[in-house]
Amino acid sequence: MSSSFDQIIVSEEWENTDFSLLETLDHVLNRGLVIAGEITISVADIDLIFVGLNVMVSSVETAQEVLRRRQMETKAE
Amino acid sequence: MKVYAYCLVEGLDTLDAPDVQVRGIEGAAVRLLKIDDFGVLVSDGESDAFPLTKESAIAHAALVGSVLDKTTSLPFRFGTIISEQQLRHYVTTYKPALEKSFAHVRGCVEMDLKIIWQIAKTDQPPEKEEQGPGTAFLEKKRRELLGDERQAALKAELSNLLRKDLGDLIRDEQIALRPSKTAVLAAVFHLVERANIRRYQEKVQEIRNNRPDLKIRLSGPWPPYSFANIELEFKSQFGVS
Repeated sequence: MSSSFDQIIVSEEWENTDFSLLETLDHVLNRGLVIAGEITISVADIDLIFVGLNVMVSSVETAQEVLRRRQMETKAE
Repeated sequence: MKVYAYCLVEGLDTLDAPDVQVRGIEGAAVRLLKIDDFGVLVSDGESDAFPLTKESAIAHAALVGSVLDKTTSLPFRFGTIISEQQLRHYVTTYKPALEKSFAHVRGCVEMDLKIIWQIAKTDQPPEKEEQGPGTAFLEKKRRELLGDERQAALKAELSNLLRKDLGDLIRDEQIALRPSKTAVLAAVFHLVERANIRRYQEKVQEIRNNRPDLKIRLSGPWPPYSFANIELEFKSQFGVS
């Protein structure tokens, strides 16, 4: 488990911290009606295109992971 | 031309209401597109992509949230850009499933709990340093299976604990867990009738008071994001099941 998670757990201010932005992002990025089809999201001017029935960008974290993989693939070539 | 879709709504004939936001992502105008018995809040877009920014995500949430008091909505996930024809096809094709979804969430909002739950540290055998690849693989599988069982047990325990106090106020529930060795971070999503929001909040406060071992964050009301999606029928898309 990441150290950041453990830091959150020991924080006494956790219940009073304003997570509203994170919660908003969690809702709009990870939940809601998904239409089968193509969704294109541009992160840092790089288009990420996900096509398929249930396959799509699920979160910024996922998008960043894809970017990392792309960079590694580019370096390997 | 493609449209950016925010949410499906029912029983909304106009956007001329004082609290309904009429600007969407990047300030785009929002219109109500009528398809069958539903309405869809959309913005017309000139490109197939748009920037994933904090502002655009917040604008999506704000627009969907602005109709929360007016009607029942099924929010689309952020980033849904689709041709109007495809959108009409989607709504028409999945009309029965969408009606079922509306019936499920009608009159309700989503209330979210984030809970940190301190649990007793379980005894775990020390990891062996040198293992062959086969043994290591089997050991990894064993740990995964035990982890799955533990998660299921924790989920059931947490659900029972919450339902004892909140059971008569919730129509549906989803729980996601992220356990560590000494604590569990749980995300709990409850579908709650609007009329019960205040009682729900009071009950959560009671749980906080009675269970100091649980650190609970409550947020909401939200549109029913976690209860909006429908099961897509693979067969109808590709002709095979």
